[in-house]
Amino acid sequence: MKQANKSPRTDPRLKKCPFKEKGVAYIDYKDYPLLKQYVDYFGNIRQRYYTGVSLKYQKMLKQAIERARFMGMLAYRK
Amino acid sequence: MPSLVPTTDEGRIYELCVLYPYPLPQKEEQEVLKAVEHIFEDAQAKLISKDSWGRRGLAYAIRGSTEGCYVIYHYEVDPEKIREIDEAIRITPNVLRHLLIKPPKGYEVVKFSEQFKNWQKSKEEGDQRNAAAAEEKLRKQVADRAKRQAKRVEEEKKVKKETEAPKKPLSEGALEEEISKLISDDEINL
Repeated sequence: MKQANKSPRTDPRLKKCPFKEKGVAYIDYKDYPLLKQYVDYFGNIRQRYYTGVSLKYQKMLKQAIERARFMGMLAYRK
Repeated sequence: MPSLVPTTDEGRIYELCVLYPYPLPQKEEQEVLKAVEHIFEDAQAKLISKDSWGRRGLAYAIRGSTEGCYVIYHYEVDPEKIREIDEAIRITPNVLRHLLIKPPKGYEVVKFSEQFKNWQKSKEEGDQRNAAAAEEKLRKQVADRAKRQAKRVEEEKKVKKETEAPKKPLSEGALEEEISKLISDDEINL
Protein backbone atom coordinates (compact mmCIF):
# COMPACT_ATOMS: atom_id res chain seq x y z
CA MET A 1 0.00 0.00 0.00
CA LYS A 2 2.84 2.34 0.87
CA GLN A 3 4.38 1.93 -2.56
CA ALA A 4 1.05 2.68 -4.26
CA ASN A 5 0.78 5.94 -2.37
CA LYS A 6 4.27 6.94 -3.41
CA SER A 7 3.52 6.71 -7.14
CA PRO A 8 3.12 10.06 -8.96
CA ARG A 9 -0.33 9.12 -10.25
CA THR A 10 -3.26 10.67 -8.45
CA ASP A 11 -5.71 8.36 -6.80
CA PRO A 12 -8.56 7.78 -9.28
CA ARG A 13 -11.01 7.74 -6.41
CA LEU A 14 -10.24 11.39 -5.77
CA LYS A 15 -11.58 12.43 -9.16
CA LYS A 16 -14.84 14.35 -9.10
CA CYS A 17 -17.63 13.71 -11.56
CA PRO A 18 -17.75 16.76 -13.87
CA PHE A 19 -21.49 16.35 -14.46
CA LYS A 20 -22.43 15.88 -10.84
CA GLU A 21 -20.60 19.05 -9.86
CA LYS A 22 -22.60 21.10 -12.35
CA GLY A 23 -25.84 19.32 -11.59
CA VAL A 24 -26.47 18.34 -15.21
CA ALA A 25 -29.98 17.00 -15.81
CA TYR A 26 -29.49 15.49 -19.25
CA ILE A 27 -26.59 14.94 -21.63
CA ASP A 28 -27.59 15.97 -25.13
CA TYR A 29 -26.41 13.99 -28.14
CA LYS A 30 -26.21 17.26 -30.13
CA ASP A 31 -23.58 18.74 -27.86
CA TYR A 32 -20.58 17.68 -29.93
CA PRO A 33 -17.86 19.64 -28.05
CA LEU A 34 -18.94 18.02 -24.78
CA LEU A 35 -19.13 14.47 -26.12
CA LYS A 36 -15.80 14.77 -27.87
CA GLN A 37 -14.02 14.94 -24.52
CA TYR A 38 -15.32 11.51 -23.55
CA VAL A 39 -14.30 9.74 -26.76
CA ASP A 40 -10.73 8.70 -27.45
CA TYR A 41 -8.81 8.87 -30.72
CA PHE A 42 -10.20 5.55 -31.92
CA GLY A 43 -13.79 6.55 -31.25
CA ASN A 44 -14.22 4.45 -28.12
CA ILE A 45 -15.97 5.81 -25.08
CA ARG A 46 -13.44 6.70 -22.37
CA GLN A 47 -13.71 4.58 -19.27
CA ARG A 48 -15.24 5.93 -16.13
CA TYR A 49 -12.07 5.01 -14.29
CA TYR A 50 -10.08 7.59 -16.26
CA THR A 51 -12.64 10.38 -16.59
CA GLY A 52 -14.19 10.19 -13.14
CA VAL A 53 -17.76 10.28 -14.45
CA SER A 54 -20.25 8.74 -12.07
CA LEU A 55 -22.24 5.70 -13.15
CA LYS A 56 -25.48 7.61 -13.55
CA TYR A 57 -23.92 10.07 -15.96
CA GLN A 58 -21.85 7.43 -17.73
CA LYS A 59 -25.09 5.72 -18.74
CA MET A 60 -26.48 9.01 -20.06
CA LEU A 61 -23.21 9.70 -21.81
CA LYS A 62 -23.27 6.29 -23.46
CA GLN A 63 -26.73 6.90 -24.86
CA ALA A 64 -25.82 10.38 -26.07
CA ILE A 65 -22.65 9.14 -27.77
CA GLU A 66 -24.49 6.26 -29.43
CA ARG A 67 -27.12 8.64 -30.77
CA ALA A 68 -24.44 11.03 -32.01
CA ARG A 69 -22.70 8.11 -33.73
CA PHE A 70 -25.89 7.10 -35.46
CA MET A 71 -26.39 10.63 -36.74
CA GLY A 72 -22.87 10.77 -38.11
CA MET A 73 -21.53 13.34 -35.65
CA LEU A 74 -19.10 10.94 -33.99
CA ALA A 75 -17.20 8.05 -35.52
CA TYR A 76 -17.84 4.42 -34.63
CA ARG A 77 -14.24 3.55 -35.40
CA LYS A 78 -11.28 5.45 -36.64
CA MET B 1 -36.87 29.89 -25.10
CA PRO B 2 -40.11 28.26 -26.07
CA SER B 3 -41.67 26.17 -23.37
CA LEU B 4 -41.70 22.42 -23.76
CA VAL B 5 -44.79 21.74 -21.71
CA PRO B 6 -47.53 20.21 -23.85
CA THR B 7 -50.59 22.46 -24.14
CA THR B 8 -53.10 19.63 -24.23
CA ASP B 9 -53.34 16.34 -22.37
CA GLU B 10 -52.94 14.28 -25.50
CA GLY B 11 -49.98 16.11 -26.97
CA ARG B 12 -46.41 15.22 -26.21
CA ILE B 13 -43.16 16.91 -27.11
CA TYR B 14 -40.91 15.14 -29.61
CA GLU B 15 -37.56 16.06 -30.99
CA LEU B 16 -36.61 15.26 -34.54
CA CYS B 17 -33.16 15.44 -36.06
CA VAL B 18 -32.92 15.11 -39.82
CA LEU B 19 -29.72 14.69 -41.81
CA TYR B 20 -29.60 15.30 -45.54
CA PRO B 21 -26.55 15.38 -47.82
CA TYR B 22 -24.81 18.70 -48.29
CA PRO B 23 -24.12 19.13 -52.00
CA LEU B 24 -27.83 19.08 -52.83
CA PRO B 25 -29.56 21.38 -55.33
CA GLN B 26 -31.51 24.07 -53.55
CA LYS B 27 -34.77 22.86 -55.02
CA GLU B 28 -34.31 19.35 -53.63
CA GLU B 29 -33.19 20.75 -50.30
CA GLN B 30 -36.42 22.73 -50.07
CA GLU B 31 -38.36 19.63 -51.05
CA VAL B 32 -36.81 17.55 -48.27
CA LEU B 33 -37.66 20.11 -45.62
CA LYS B 34 -41.13 20.63 -47.04
CA ALA B 35 -41.78 16.89 -47.10
CA VAL B 36 -40.73 16.50 -43.47
CA GLU B 37 -42.79 19.47 -42.36
CA HIS B 38 -45.72 18.25 -44.41
CA ILE B 39 -45.69 14.90 -42.60
CA PHE B 40 -46.05 16.68 -39.31
CA GLU B 41 -48.73 18.99 -40.65
CA ASP B 42 -50.74 15.96 -41.69
CA ALA B 43 -50.55 14.69 -38.13
CA GLN B 44 -51.77 18.07 -36.84
CA ALA B 45 -48.54 18.68 -34.98
CA LYS B 46 -47.57 22.02 -33.52
CA LEU B 47 -44.13 23.35 -34.37
CA ILE B 48 -42.29 24.63 -31.30
CA SER B 49 -38.85 25.35 -32.62
CA LYS B 50 -36.67 24.77 -35.64
CA ASP B 51 -32.90 24.91 -35.67
CA SER B 52 -30.96 24.59 -38.91
CA TRP B 53 -27.31 23.69 -38.32
CA GLY B 54 -26.16 24.07 -41.88
CA ARG B 55 -23.21 22.33 -43.45
CA ARG B 56 -21.21 19.95 -41.29
CA GLY B 57 -18.66 17.29 -41.93
CA LEU B 58 -19.71 13.73 -41.14
CA ALA B 59 -17.62 11.39 -39.05
CA TYR B 60 -18.05 8.64 -41.64
CA ALA B 61 -19.47 8.50 -45.15
CA ILE B 62 -23.21 7.86 -45.24
CA ARG B 63 -24.49 6.71 -48.64
CA GLY B 64 -21.39 8.16 -50.26
CA SER B 65 -21.68 11.68 -48.88
CA THR B 66 -19.08 13.00 -46.47
CA GLU B 67 -20.86 16.24 -45.66
CA GLY B 68 -24.38 16.87 -44.54
CA CYS B 69 -26.83 19.37 -43.12
CA TYR B 70 -28.70 18.89 -39.87
CA VAL B 71 -32.08 20.31 -38.97
CA ILE B 72 -33.57 19.99 -35.48
CA TYR B 73 -37.31 20.27 -34.95
CA HIS B 74 -39.33 20.29 -31.78
CA TYR B 75 -42.95 19.30 -32.28
CA GLU B 76 -45.94 18.67 -30.13
CA VAL B 77 -47.55 15.55 -31.49
CA ASP B 78 -50.18 13.07 -30.48
CA PRO B 79 -48.16 9.99 -29.40
CA GLU B 80 -50.45 7.65 -31.32
CA LYS B 81 -49.31 9.11 -34.63
CA ILE B 82 -45.62 8.97 -33.93
CA ARG B 83 -45.11 5.56 -35.48
CA GLU B 84 -46.63 6.67 -38.77
CA ILE B 85 -44.52 9.81 -38.75
CA ASP B 86 -41.37 7.82 -38.12
CA GLU B 87 -42.20 5.46 -40.97
CA ALA B 88 -43.02 8.35 -43.30
CA ILE B 89 -39.72 10.12 -42.61
CA ARG B 90 -37.83 6.88 -43.14
CA ILE B 91 -39.05 6.61 -46.73
CA THR B 92 -38.61 10.29 -47.53
CA PRO B 93 -36.07 10.66 -50.34
CA ASN B 94 -32.77 12.41 -49.62
CA VAL B 95 -32.97 11.89 -45.87
CA LEU B 96 -29.79 10.13 -44.81
CA ARG B 97 -30.60 9.71 -41.13
CA HIS B 98 -33.32 10.78 -38.78
CA LEU B 99 -33.75 10.47 -35.05
CA LEU B 100 -37.11 10.94 -33.39
CA ILE B 101 -36.84 11.02 -29.62
CA LYS B 102 -38.73 12.24 -26.62
CA PRO B 103 -36.74 14.81 -24.66
CA PRO B 104 -36.64 14.23 -20.90
CA LYS B 105 -38.61 16.18 -18.36
CA GLY B 106 -37.38 19.69 -17.78
CA TYR B 107 -35.50 19.80 -21.06
CA GLU B 108 -34.87 23.23 -22.52
CA VAL B 109 -34.39 23.94 -26.19
CA VAL B 110 -30.79 24.93 -26.85
CA LYS B 111 -29.66 26.37 -30.16
CA PHE B 112 -26.71 24.11 -30.80
CA SER B 113 -25.98 25.71 -34.15
CA GLU B 114 -24.83 28.90 -32.42
CA GLN B 115 -23.00 27.00 -29.71
CA PHE B 116 -21.14 24.97 -32.29
CA LYS B 117 -20.12 28.08 -34.20
CA ASN B 118 -18.86 29.73 -31.03
CA TRP B 119 -16.99 26.59 -30.10
CA GLN B 120 -15.41 26.38 -33.53
CA LYS B 121 -14.37 30.01 -33.36
CA SER B 122 -12.83 29.67 -29.92
CA LYS B 123 -11.09 26.48 -30.99
CA GLU B 124 -9.63 28.16 -34.05
CA GLU B 125 -8.43 31.05 -31.94
CA GLY B 126 -6.91 28.62 -29.46
CA ASP B 127 -5.20 26.72 -32.26
CA GLN B 128 -3.82 29.92 -33.69
CA ARG B 129 -2.59 31.00 -30.29
CA ASN B 130 -0.95 27.63 -29.75
CA ALA B 131 0.70 27.77 -33.17
CA ALA B 132 1.93 31.31 -32.48
CA ALA B 133 3.27 30.23 -29.08
CA ALA B 134 5.07 27.24 -30.63
CA GLU B 135 6.61 29.46 -33.29
CA GLU B 136 7.69 31.99 -30.69
CA LYS B 137 9.27 29.21 -28.65
CA LEU B 138 11.15 27.88 -31.66
CA ARG B 139 12.37 31.36 -32.54
CA LYS B 140 13.53 31.89 -28.99
CA GLN B 141 15.35 28.58 -29.03
CA VAL B 142 17.14 29.50 -32.24
CA ALA B 143 18.03 32.93 -30.87
CA ASP B 144 19.28 31.40 -27.63
CA ARG B 145 21.39 28.93 -29.50
CA ALA B 146 22.88 31.70 -31.62
CA LYS B 147 23.57 33.72 -28.50
CA ARG B 148 25.19 30.80 -26.77
CA GLN B 149 27.34 30.09 -29.79
CA ALA B 150 28.42 33.74 -29.96
CA LYS B 151 29.24 33.63 -26.27
CA ARG B 152 31.27 30.48 -26.69
CA VAL B 153 33.20 31.98 -29.58
CA GLU B 154 33.90 35.08 -27.52
CA GLU B 155 35.05 33.03 -24.57
CA GLU B 156 37.35 31.03 -26.78
CA LYS B 157 38.78 34.26 -28.12
CA LYS B 158 39.27 35.53 -24.59
CA VAL B 159 41.07 32.36 -23.57
CA LYS B 160 43.30 32.66 -26.62
CA LYS B 161 44.04 36.30 -25.79
CA GLU B 162 44.88 35.41 -22.20
CA THR B 163 47.31 32.77 -23.32
CA GLU B 164 48.78 35.08 -25.91
CA ALA B 165 48.73 38.23 -23.81
CA PRO B 166 51.73 37.57 -21.47
CA LYS B 167 53.92 36.77 -24.44
CA LYS B 168 53.24 40.04 -26.19
CA PRO B 169 55.18 42.52 -23.97
CA LEU B 170 58.12 40.18 -23.99
CA SER B 171 58.18 39.85 -27.74
CA GLU B 172 58.38 43.63 -28.28
CA GLY B 173 61.12 46.13 -27.52
CA ALA B 174 60.76 45.75 -23.79
CA LEU B 175 62.54 42.42 -23.94
CA GLU B 176 65.54 43.85 -25.69
CA GLU B 177 65.66 46.72 -23.24
CA GLU B 178 65.72 44.39 -20.33
CA ILE B 179 68.41 42.30 -21.88
CA SER B 180 70.52 45.36 -22.57
CA LYS B 181 69.92 46.47 -18.99
CA LEU B 182 71.13 43.12 -17.72
CA ILE B 183 74.14 43.25 -19.97
CA SER B 184 75.04 46.82 -19.03
CA ASP B 185 74.56 46.09 -15.38
CA ASP B 186 77.99 46.13 -13.73
CA GLU B 187 76.92 44.71 -10.46
CA ILE B 188 76.49 41.29 -11.87
CA ASN B 189 79.74 39.37 -11.76
CA LEU B 190 80.09 36.92 -14.48
